[in-house]
Amino acid sequence: MPLRNTGMAHRFEPGGPGTTPEERRALDHLFSVTYEELRRLAWSVRRGDPSATLSPTALVNEAWLKLANSPELASTSRLHFKRIAARAMRQLLIEAARRRNALKRGGGGVFSEVTFDDSLEEAASCGEDLLALDTALEELARIHPRQAMMVESRFFGGLDIAETAALLDVSEATILRDWRAAKAWLAHELRRAR
Amino acid sequence: MDSTRWEQIQTLFHDAADLPQPEQRAFLQTACGGDDGLMADVLALLAEDARGASLLDRDLAQVAHQMLGEANLPFKEFGPYRIKQRLGEGGMGVVYLAERDDLGSQVAIKILRDAWLSPARRERFASEQRMLAQLNHPSIARLYDADTLADGTPCIVMEYVEGVALTEYCSQHQCSIEERLRLFACVCEAVQYAHQHAVIHRDLKPSNILVKPDGTVRLLDFGIAKHMESLEVPVDQTMTGLRLMTPAYAAPEQIRGDRVGIHTDVYSLGVILYELLTGRRPFDLANLTPGEAETVIVQRDPEKPSLAARRMTGPQGAGTHVPSASKTSWADLDVLCLTAMHKDIQRRYRSVEALIRDIDHYLNGQPLEARPDSVRYRLGKFIRRNRRAVSAAALGFTVVVGLVVFFTVRLAKARNVALAEAARTQRIQRFMLNLFQGGDEAAGPSDSLRVVTLLDRGVQEARALDGAPAVQAELYQTLGGIYQKLGKFDQADSLLRSALDQRRKLFGPDNAEVAESLVALGLLRTDQAQYEEAERLVREGLEISRRKLPSTHPAVAKATFALGKVLEDRGTYDQAIQVLEQAVQLQSAPDAAASDLAASLSELANTHFYAGHYDISDSLNRRVLTMNRELHGERHPLVADTLINLGAIQFQLGHYRESERFNRQALDIVQSWYGKDHPETADTMTILGQSLTYQKRYDEATALLQQSLGILERFYGPVHPRVAYALNELGNVAIRQEKLDDAEAYFTRVISIYRSVYGDQHYLIGIAQSNLGGVYFERKEYVRAEQLFREALQTYARTLPPDHLSVGISRIRLGGALLGEQRYPEAEVESLAGYEILRKQTSPTVKWLQTARKDLAAEYDALHQPQKAAKFRAELAATEAKPPAVTSRK
Repeated sequence: MPLRNTGMAHRFEPGGPGTTPEERRALDHLFSVTYEELRRLAWSVRRGDPSATLSPTALVNEAWLKLANSPELASTSRLHFKRIAARAMRQLLIEAARRRNALKRGGGGVFSEVTFDDSLEEAASCGEDLLALDTALEELARIHPRQAMMVESRFFGGLDIAETAALLDVSEATILRDWRAAKAWLAHELRRAR
Repeated sequence: MDSTRWEQIQTLFHDAADLPQPEQRAFLQTACGGDDGLMADVLALLAEDARGASLLDRDLAQVAHQMLGEANLPFKEFGPYRIKQRLGEGGMGVVYLAERDDLGSQVAIKILRDAWLSPARRERFASEQRMLAQLNHPSIARLYDADTLADGTPCIVMEYVEGVALTEYCSQHQCSIEERLRLFACVCEAVQYAHQHAVIHRDLKPSNILVKPDGTVRLLDFGIAKHMESLEVPVDQTMTGLRLMTPAYAAPEQIRGDRVGIHTDVYSLGVILYELLTGRRPFDLANLTPGEAETVIVQRDPEKPSLAARRMTGPQGAGTHVPSASKTSWADLDVLCLTAMHKDIQRRYRSVEALIRDIDHYLNGQPLEARPDSVRYRLGKFIRRNRRAVSAAALGFTVVVGLVVFFTVRLAKARNVALAEAARTQRIQRFMLNLFQGGDEAAGPSDSLRVVTLLDRGVQEARALDGAPAVQAELYQTLGGIYQKLGKFDQADSLLRSALDQRRKLFGPDNAEVAESLVALGLLRTDQAQYEEAERLVREGLEISRRKLPSTHPAVAKATFALGKVLEDRGTYDQAIQVLEQAVQLQSAPDAAASDLAASLSELANTHFYAGHYDISDSLNRRVLTMNRELHGERHPLVADTLINLGAIQFQLGHYRESERFNRQALDIVQSWYGKDHPETADTMTILGQSLTYQKRYDEATALLQQSLGILERFYGPVHPRVAYALNELGNVAIRQEKLDDAEAYFTRVISIYRSVYGDQHYLIGIAQSNLGGVYFERKEYVRAEQLFREALQTYARTLPPDHLSVGISRIRLGGALLGEQRYPEAEVESLAGYEILRKQTSPTVKWLQTARKDLAAEYDALHQPQKAAKFRAELAATEAKPPAVTSRK
């Protein structure tokens, strides 16, 4: 199957060391496909029903249903897919947050700027938190990669305790402990970033 | 912080967290042993843990909603435009309505949201912009301007179309079937226009087609449109495309992620037509998961529109306006709609143009070209097969005389068009439908029924139609035409003669329909190589047509054209040229169809080619090329045909590189039109292979021919005339490379294929035998060679007139073999006979004439007739000195 890098992939490092270039490309590709799918779903959900929540878990599940029979996912387990989808979701939200920040700072160029309303302010602070979380997660990945992956999978991918334990190959008790500590540390980092 | 420190902090955090809060500080003071920093870190964590109000404690759904959810557009003005309201979202972006302050005119501004996220999305948006800029059609929403916002977000300013979706418009206005079809035809024309500009829309649906209050339509949203040349895309992009389009209108090949093309748009148009006719979509996908929906689209056959419409008028469809039509009209509408949305690309309308033609036919009360699906398919298949046979014949011939093939293939195409016109009445259509469906409409044709059996049955049924002799005659005429395409000349003969007799009886001898029969019978005689009779019949038909019809009537032009072709096939090129020029003149009338004119000009170009007037042929073909490009767009198969003809001229002039260039252009078009794995593509590869062979690029040629062979074998199976055709070319290359064993194997297989397909009674077997003889000749196994040439001549004796070119060539070859055996008197007889046959029919520089001259000189030397030997040597020298003639007209 011909694979093409779609330009998103350079941000994403799905394989660890020892991944062959082919595997890397395959994962990059899978990521791109998943990312596009999540995007599309996110838009369509919102378009279809104003009251529908954008539940990441639902989105990831739906993306899985949609992609499950595609050649991209031929050798991917559902769990592995969720893991990749979590990464894609993180990317999606971080980029959205970054963009909101840019808009707020940069103004509209040829568009003349108008006053932001409250909901925009709220969204902006949420966006700043997300950006801080992203940075803190990178720091956590440096000192404790497994915990960083756990947070990403749980928070962005909606994996439950059991799934996260299976994915990371540790006990559920470990996940619970790690989650509590990592969450506290990240909350602290977020506060410091404000 | 490092990992060790983090482990330390966590341990203390967990230990302390289990304690009641007041004890935590005391515990930590002891545990941290004076490390204040450590203690502060742990305490901070404990505080956060107790608070539990960070982002991570929030529901991500909310976060996502805030990040991705709808925000107000933070801008109100864009250049001279003031944003008024949000109109909606397309496949790619958000569209706003804006007003130009100075002019008060309204525009739509489409902004690619999240462009920054993905270069692929940016690229798609930019390509939409490029394509729209190219398309300038009254029914396609126009592009006014394009720009980027300060943050790099691209946006385009387009014509604002205030209107309602096509389907909605029709039900609001309670449009009749005719009104619906007329609107739909406008849509088709816009799509056809885009196709001519090599743009495929890929997301056609009613919401992208608006009808303005003045009743004109506008096609919107080329967001995922594609340029045809870029359609050979890797899977990932196709997948992305798939993700973007709307499943309800997506073609099965789109769902499967296969190659998309104009046929994809044809399918979507079919679905839209279905909805217009019935008030509902062909498949109800509402409550299905995406996966289930895809299965339905790929596998399930839609209900006939007539039945669907009937159900909608019942209690189920309360409130929906469904247009009404007569039962016979519905039969045609079913065909029209289901042919457009056929799951098998091969059985769909080949182009939007073909769909438009049939809509016009329907609106004008004429029969459709898309006869009922199964008939069309089965006949089409056989005609195609027959066409291969025709072209195979021609290629066999090329081993001998060069490039007749290019033109014969084209000839056969023209005949197919004629056949398409053959089923002229609706009664015939219905008759055929019953015939092929075994009387049971729902069951469809059984695969085990062979077409010949069906046709035979058709003849029986036609014979039973004594009460309606005019229809019966029409049927005989049609069936005869089909048998002719199938190469069953005897049956064709008796049917066409019956049609002629019956029409004479009915209408008297001097009648336009009688004339039509005469012309058809004449063309059959050409296939039977009875040229004199052919010419007599066609001339008679033409005369009657001229007397009975106004000189501008298309039938007169058609009969004139037929006479030109007969004369061309006879080899009387000068006369053929005259007659074809008349046909051209008739078809140059302002109201004549431009495509007919192009066909006649093309035939005229062919005749000049055969006559050796390469410069005239070249300029005519260039004119045809321009016409076809205007008529059909740059990348249409007819354009490819003409390019191949131009390549053939260069080939004949010995300019193999130029020939290659034309053929490559043609291959490029054919490939993007039909796909890489299609017999048409294989054909063009073979032709390109020939221009490589003559540049002595044997390895490239062989690779290409092998590829072509592979396609044909996959498509037709190992035993098929088309496969034989490719093998024959490979044999030709092998001989040139002196790989005689390979060549022997190829030709042997060719013979066995032809034998099993045609029995012993086909001249193609003779050509293959002759070619195999050539291999033995090269090996200097003259006795074996002689035997095969004699077998070939026996085959010809049963199938061809004695002065046929192929006979001449085989006799020259036989002469050569006998010369090798030193049987000079016998050799002289054969060489001379072959020489005389060819001399009258071909250009003096043809390779086989040269061979004959050489052999004859040697034979007369051996027979001690020096004067005769000298005569042929002189001829040889004279013709060799000539360059491969660019002759002007004699």
